Formats: sequence, C-alpha cells, structure tokens
Amino acid sequence: MSRQAGRKQDNHKISRELFVLTYGALVAQLCKDYEKDEDVNICLDRMGYSIGIRLIDDFLARSAVKKCRSYSETTDMIAQVAFKMYLGVTASVSCSSAAGNEFSLILDKNPLVDFVEELPAERASLCYCNLLCGVIRGALEMVHLAAEVTFLQDKLKGDAVTEIGITFLRKAEDRKHKR
Amino acid sequence: MAVCIAVIAKENYPLYIRSIPTENELKFHYTVHTSLDVVDEKISAMGKALVDQRELYLGLLYPTEDYKVYGYVTNSKVKFVMVVDSSNTALRDNEIRSMFRKLHNSYTDIMCNPFYNPGDRIHSRAFDNTVNSMMMQVC
Repeated sequence: MSRQAGRKQDNHKISRELFVLTYGALVAQLCKDYEKDEDVNICLDRMGYSIGIRLIDDFLARSAVKKCRSYSETTDMIAQVAFKMYLGVTASVSCSSAAGNEFSLILDKNPLVDFVEELPAERASLCYCNLLCGVIRGALEMVHLAAEVTFLQDKLKGDAVTEIGITFLRKAEDRKHKR
Repeated sequence: MAVCIAVIAKENYPLYIRSIPTENELKFHYTVHTSLDVVDEKISAMGKALVDQRELYLGLLYPTEDYKVYGYVTNSKVKFVMVVDSSNTALRDNEIRSMFRKLHNSYTDIMCNPFYNPGDRIHSRAFDNTVNSMMMQVC
C-alpha cells in the first residue's frame, strides 16, 4: 500500500498555524502536568519516538530514496528530504567527529517556535522541540540504526541557531546486517 | 504623539498600560479608565450591526484641551485605548487606524504564544517594541 502520486488525499494540507498552535498547546499542557523540566523533556521525547517509528514508513514510501551507504548520507537525507517534506524547512549538516558518527543539523528557521517568543522564566531548561529529537531517534531505530539525538543549541534559550546533534551508536564497520 | 497606550480586557481591567514620561502617569490611568464608559456606550450603540473592520475602530472618544482619546475594540471585546497629544494636529485618522491595526496584530501574536494565558498581564518584548515605535515615531 505505497502512497503514489495518484492518491488524491495526499494533496490535502492543513493550516500551518493550526499545527504550530496544537504543538504549543501540547507543550503548555505538559508543563502544567509536570513540575520538572526534565520530565517534560522526557515525555516529549517519548511521544516523538512513537511518532518516528510510524513516520519512517510514510517517509520511505513517499520519497522512494535508495539505501544510504553511510551515516553522513543518512544525515543528509534527514536534513534535506525529511525536514523539507514534513516541516517545510531544510537543515544544514555538519560532521563533528573524526570517527564519522557524530553529526549536527543546524536549523535556521524552526516553524514549531513561530509564536513562542521566549521560554517562561520558570522553564529555563525546557527543550521546546524535543519531540523532533524523539522522531529522529524512532525513525532511525526502525531502519536499524541506533542513535542518540539531543539539542545542542536552542534559539529559545538565547543561542544563535538551533542545533540538533545525532550520535550514531555503532561503528560503521559493524553494519554487517545487510543480507 | 501617542502619550499613552492601554490594552483593556473584556472584564475591563488593564492588561497593559504604558505612558510616556511620566510625571502624570496616574492622570493617564484615570483618563483611560473614564474613557471605558464611552467605549461601552459606543459598543452598545452598534448593537446588532455586522462587525467588520470599520466598526472595530471606534474613533475619537472624547477630546479635552490637552489631548484626544481614541478607541478600538476587537471581536473578543478586548479594547485598545490610545491617548494622543492635541498639539499634534498632523495626525490623520488613517494613521490612527493603522496604528491600531498594528497593535491588534501584535496582540494576536501574543495570544498565539502557548505560554500566555488569556487574562494575564502582557509581558512581551515584541509588544513593547511595537508600542515604543508608536510612541516615538509620532513624536
């Protein structure tokens, strides 16, 4: 049941404001439910994870990309194709380790924080977009790539750009599961 | 020049009030408070009329010897009140309307912030900047 261009339902888009407001309401409600920022972050990550494990199939079916041969190709795919498809923005990739398994995605514009000016004073260590980290982690896990995804820099906390760090947890030579 | 800008909630308490220096801040607060009666009068006079952009702007509420007070009400009954110096006769009605429109846009942006609860006082840097630009620019 792959989603080809013929299906009319694909062209229905919902308004971006509705999506951003929904995400904002979700984070605000979590902040009311949990006292500690860490708990909210973990909850967002878990939610993102369950979205990611489902989203990966939709992504692979829609984009029909070929198999990635290396971690950097995978990261490029996430930054250019996946972000563009789902968020409408592209991220730039930089590799930050000699071993070739740590990368970071740098986002200039993040549509999820359109209406949030700054984090409230009592929530200084909240990772507002932690859902994205969970999504990436879940999606990578379903293609058998274990990774740790965290926020390295966040515009909401005063940094210049938003930076997501992806650390692949297995060495490139160990990927012998290809049949 | 706009000497005082205030945002009043539906229940008629202030969400945001700012006036330019500052000797007589209390006088402006009092002016805004009394202008609320005029606003209510105008709103009830409009009655069942279809509310469109023109009727959000209430126009000159009342003039005194020193200043003029203009009003604007949104569909959610949030009122913006602007006190302008009378000596500045160059201010056209259109300019006042566009200032209110800018205020309304800034207010909408604040409402969209998920951490803002409607009814709270407004503490937003972007809104402050908009208000500052109006108070200086018309100087």
